[in-house]
Amino acid sequence: MRQSLRFPTVVLLVTGALLPSRLLSQQRQAIESFSEARIAIAMGKYAEATAYLERLPRTDSTWMDAQVELVRAFALISKYDDAERVARQAVAAPNGKEALTALGELMRTRGRLAAADSAFARAVAEHASDSLMASLNLALLAKARGDKAVPARGLDHFIDVYNSAAGSLTSREMMAVAIACRELGETNAELFKDALKAFDRAITLDPANIDARVALGELFLEKYNGAEAQRTLDEVLQINASHPGALVAAARRLVFDGQPGADSLLATALAVSPEFVPARLMMARGSMDLERYADAARDAERALKANPSDAGALATLAAARFVGGDQRAYADARARALALNAHDAGFFVTLAEAAGRVRRYAIAADFARQAIAADSANWKAHSVLGMNLLRLGKIADGRQSLEVAFKGDPFDVWVKNTLDLLDTFKNYDESTSEHAVFMIEKQESALLTIYLKDLAEKAYAKFQQRYQYAAPPPVRIEVYRSHADFSVRTVGLSGLGALGVSFGTTLAFDSPAAKDAGPFNWASTVWHELAHTFTLGSTDHRIPRWLSEGLSVWEEHQARAGWGASVSPGFLEAYRAGKLVPISRMNDGFMRPTYPEQIGYSYYQGSLVCDLIVKDWGEKAITGLLAEYRGGRTTDEAFQKVTGMDMKAFDRRFDAYMKERFGPVLEALALPGPEYPAGMGAAQFLARADSFPASYRAQVMAATPLVRARMHDEAVRVLERAHALFPAFGGDDSPASNLAVLYRAKGDTAKEIAMLKVLTLSDESNYAANMHLASLLIVRGDTAGALEASERALFINPFAPELHVVLARLYEARGDQAMRVREREALVALDPVDKSEALYELAVAYRAAGDLVKAKRAVLRALEDAPNFERAQDLLLAIVDGRKP
Amino acid sequence: MSDRGAGRRLLSSVFAALVAAACFTASAQAQTHVLIASGLGGEPRFSQRFRALGADLASALQRKYRIAAPNIGWFGEDSTFADSHYRGRSTRDALEKEIAAMRARAKAGEQIVVIFIGHGAGQEGESRVSLPGPDVTVGDVQRWMAGFTEQRVAVVNLTSGSGDFLPILAAPGRVVITATKTAFERNESRFAEFFVKAYTADVADVDKDGRVSLLEAFRYAARETKRVYDDATKLQTEHAQLDDNGTKQNTAEPTGRDGQGLLARRFFFEAPGAPGAPIAAGGDQGIAALYHERFALEGRIDSLRALKPKLTPALYDAELEIVLVSLARKSREIRKAEGRP
Repeated sequence: MRQSLRFPTVVLLVTGALLPSRLLSQQRQAIESFSEARIAIAMGKYAEATAYLERLPRTDSTWMDAQVELVRAFALISKYDDAERVARQAVAAPNGKEALTALGELMRTRGRLAAADSAFARAVAEHASDSLMASLNLALLAKARGDKAVPARGLDHFIDVYNSAAGSLTSREMMAVAIACRELGETNAELFKDALKAFDRAITLDPANIDARVALGELFLEKYNGAEAQRTLDEVLQINASHPGALVAAARRLVFDGQPGADSLLATALAVSPEFVPARLMMARGSMDLERYADAARDAERALKANPSDAGALATLAAARFVGGDQRAYADARARALALNAHDAGFFVTLAEAAGRVRRYAIAADFARQAIAADSANWKAHSVLGMNLLRLGKIADGRQSLEVAFKGDPFDVWVKNTLDLLDTFKNYDESTSEHAVFMIEKQESALLTIYLKDLAEKAYAKFQQRYQYAAPPPVRIEVYRSHADFSVRTVGLSGLGALGVSFGTTLAFDSPAAKDAGPFNWASTVWHELAHTFTLGSTDHRIPRWLSEGLSVWEEHQARAGWGASVSPGFLEAYRAGKLVPISRMNDGFMRPTYPEQIGYSYYQGSLVCDLIVKDWGEKAITGLLAEYRGGRTTDEAFQKVTGMDMKAFDRRFDAYMKERFGPVLEALALPGPEYPAGMGAAQFLARADSFPASYRAQVMAATPLVRARMHDEAVRVLERAHALFPAFGGDDSPASNLAVLYRAKGDTAKEIAMLKVLTLSDESNYAANMHLASLLIVRGDTAGALEASERALFINPFAPELHVVLARLYEARGDQAMRVREREALVALDPVDKSEALYELAVAYRAAGDLVKAKRAVLRALEDAPNFERAQDLLLAIVDGRKP
Repeated sequence: MSDRGAGRRLLSSVFAALVAAACFTASAQAQTHVLIASGLGGEPRFSQRFRALGADLASALQRKYRIAAPNIGWFGEDSTFADSHYRGRSTRDALEKEIAAMRARAKAGEQIVVIFIGHGAGQEGESRVSLPGPDVTVGDVQRWMAGFTEQRVAVVNLTSGSGDFLPILAAPGRVVITATKTAFERNESRFAEFFVKAYTADVADVDKDGRVSLLEAFRYAARETKRVYDDATKLQTEHAQLDDNGTKQNTAEPTGRDGQGLLARRFFFEAPGAPGAPIAAGGDQGIAALYHERFALEGRIDSLRALKPKLTPALYDAELEIVLVSLARKSREIRKAEGRP
């Protein structure tokens, strides 16, 4: 296992030190001095502080320092004209050189790079007191232009400055050293630690240096240390809840850690500083994730209005235009970006990341290669290339790129985790079918390939026929016994809340043995992800996320009764409460859920959209939509063309469809029923249930008290009413599940079987119900029904030997020798303690199926371990003597 | 064809030794002397479980494996217990006296089996089994076993945290089984119940020879223990070990084909005359001859399996089929001679 550099967590001496309490307490009073105004700015009291500083007379000894603070404060809240007015007045005043760096920074913020360069150069030439910061800015400007020699020399100088004069540097000068070290860290990772040290000292020297604190938080974030980033930024926001930079960095940290809330932080940042470019760009990236490319472009354009030379804004605009399919606008943005810096690797990295986020992995890899061509030392580019190559199934090439990335940036936990995972691939078997290659951990590959090959080929044939598209073989299917490994394979980190992922022709899944995944239907998961392969591929990866998910769930429903998400009281209550997103904004339900269940509801809602389309416009409308997406049409355009409706009209149609489809259940759920004062007894619950027979709630509320009171007949009565009101619901604690228990207690097997069928056909992961149902049906002689239930159970847990024994016997009873062989092969693959017995039974099955060669081979294997196994000996003799079974 | 010839030459070189081993197995069906010590439960549920395991095992050893009742000594937490094998409280003194008695009555070539059931504690040389009164330490057991120089010995410690017994007791010619890998695996152990089940139920005879070897019992119990944890989606907190050659290597999954398990594979509890036990000396000479021919064929299979890595799969299967068919026909002759179907 490779050693990563763990970015230090606690080396800071005073990062936690807040502003002096004396000054903080003064903020309740009027500002009376420059230093108090400075503290007020640090605390986000921008209006009060700038008002005071503007009133300060020129004769005041702090006037020039005040102007510099004023420029920076105005710039912080997007009052650029005011900032420039103040800056120019200050520069024109006696000792105006002290304002040149602030002016230069403002010019850079406004995208006037030549003017910025000139101001910084003057500050250096005229030996302004902050000329060190001016020197740094000159180097950064040169770097932004793609001039490699100048910044390297300029930045190296800061290490000498630190080593020779660290004790005499001001806080801002120390921050300049820190920034220089951070930049140099791109080619020497150890220097990131020096940057950390310098930021720490900058804050020690001036606890009010909020910029240094924010930059430190950003550094932690860039080096993948979310916990320290959060701690640092939380401290900043405690001091100043209105600092735009801190708010954006905190929003990035939330996204980094997969936590909600980034949107509100960005909104706050933009409320304080409406033209703040980093906030606008993050908004744009969020819109791109939601596949709202026009919105993304709008934010990028607005950022460019504030700063026409911002490389990040140009790259984001280009990305929004590219993934949005506007090639002309993309070319324009690209030309503008490359005119600023023809070797801007960051531009291509932004494009690559944007393409990857919308599942266009081959294009992402191409952009990453262009980034590397522009700057081979851009480790992020190598990392993005590697990750996307892995998604494309190019494992060796991907690994090579990740090794380069990790060598350059040993802090990157995504890359480290992924490389560590790749090291374990030697523990996997690879096998193939006609259209797929399977990578499965050795200890379960023999078993899972028996089922996976068949399932994958059936899915391939079905989807090829439905979508009139042949996914380029082989489709790579990786199965992970560890959910954490699956998660790393998918997003580079553990903790992903999914069971499977499709990158197109590369799929990754949790094995049904993945302990931390919980029970799930692995077969429907495979079916679901393979459907993505076809809907992504047939649209050149342009299908919106929500529709691809909706179609995959819809395909699950088409494949087998009971597969896929199903309707629940929670889903219908969410609909009644207006908590389902309209179809026109369905990506929000997946990418920006506003309550925990929303993602799950969105999957089901997506499938209902597909049901509606097929119902109203026929199945061809599905392929019609996909064709429109492939042609580069937006969702609005595609739906208009295929359904004749715009999205608002479609939203209305969907609403009507919900009422058509679930009308009676919605009514039953809508009925409020009686009130339930505390301390009610079972009889009172029953009376209320009987008084409100059409209220679903009244019935289910009564069931538990009645069971507790051992009033089972009455409990059955209310539950039967509830089930009749919502017959499709068979999830946990459904009327059907409770009725099954009560019927069992009463010995009413027929009704118990009926309820178990409801459960097993509405909850694809209910293993226990399927096994119990199978056992009841076997007793009743219903071989076909028992087989169906057992097969469903198999798709949840294929590792139970007893299940395979049951299946083998059922198939034997039905005379289906091929399936009997399949089950006997599965038992051998499970490597049971009594393997000789399993091999013997397999040999018997082969013989019954007429395959004497395999029968003899299996019985030889049985006898190899158990030479005196008499039944196997008899079978061997029967085979070699040519006796018929 | 040249491969085939080469295979046969190689095969003959180990044939004699393996035939000898097979014959030894047959002749080694001597009396077995068993000491079962179930320790303190600490809680009623554990006391009950340990008592039940001891009772089941003692009963099966007499009933199923025909070990003479005087050769089975079961000691437990209670002073008295209504069971013919029960000898009283499992104090260290009582166990030591029983060991002395076993030493006095066991003849050369006979088998000594000591089984501990209960809770374990301590590490390395301080490892011990919790008993009424002073605990028995690994040092005590080492001292006790040192007296059995002419017998085949098996020490089976089924207690939690028993792992450190193995490296101290392991010795050539001695089978040592522990329920855990180290003394740190102190959680409640499930291995014991499956080990006992291997002897009380017809579940562990995987080579279908009608007998359960120590190796089969160990492998069955280890596999079922793992399954319990897998089914409950819990991390396994006990990992049983076996050493029967004193090397302390590869103790978790002994195969009995080479290295660990060779001795345990041939360690059976059956007394002469028990179902599944090879025919006793002095029986029907015709049947005895058939058995010896069968042993020879079994030896050929052993030697062939040893050569498997060096043979092509096709050649191996062809050779295997020839011997297995011969063995099957020989077994049929034996069954016919014995009047079995």
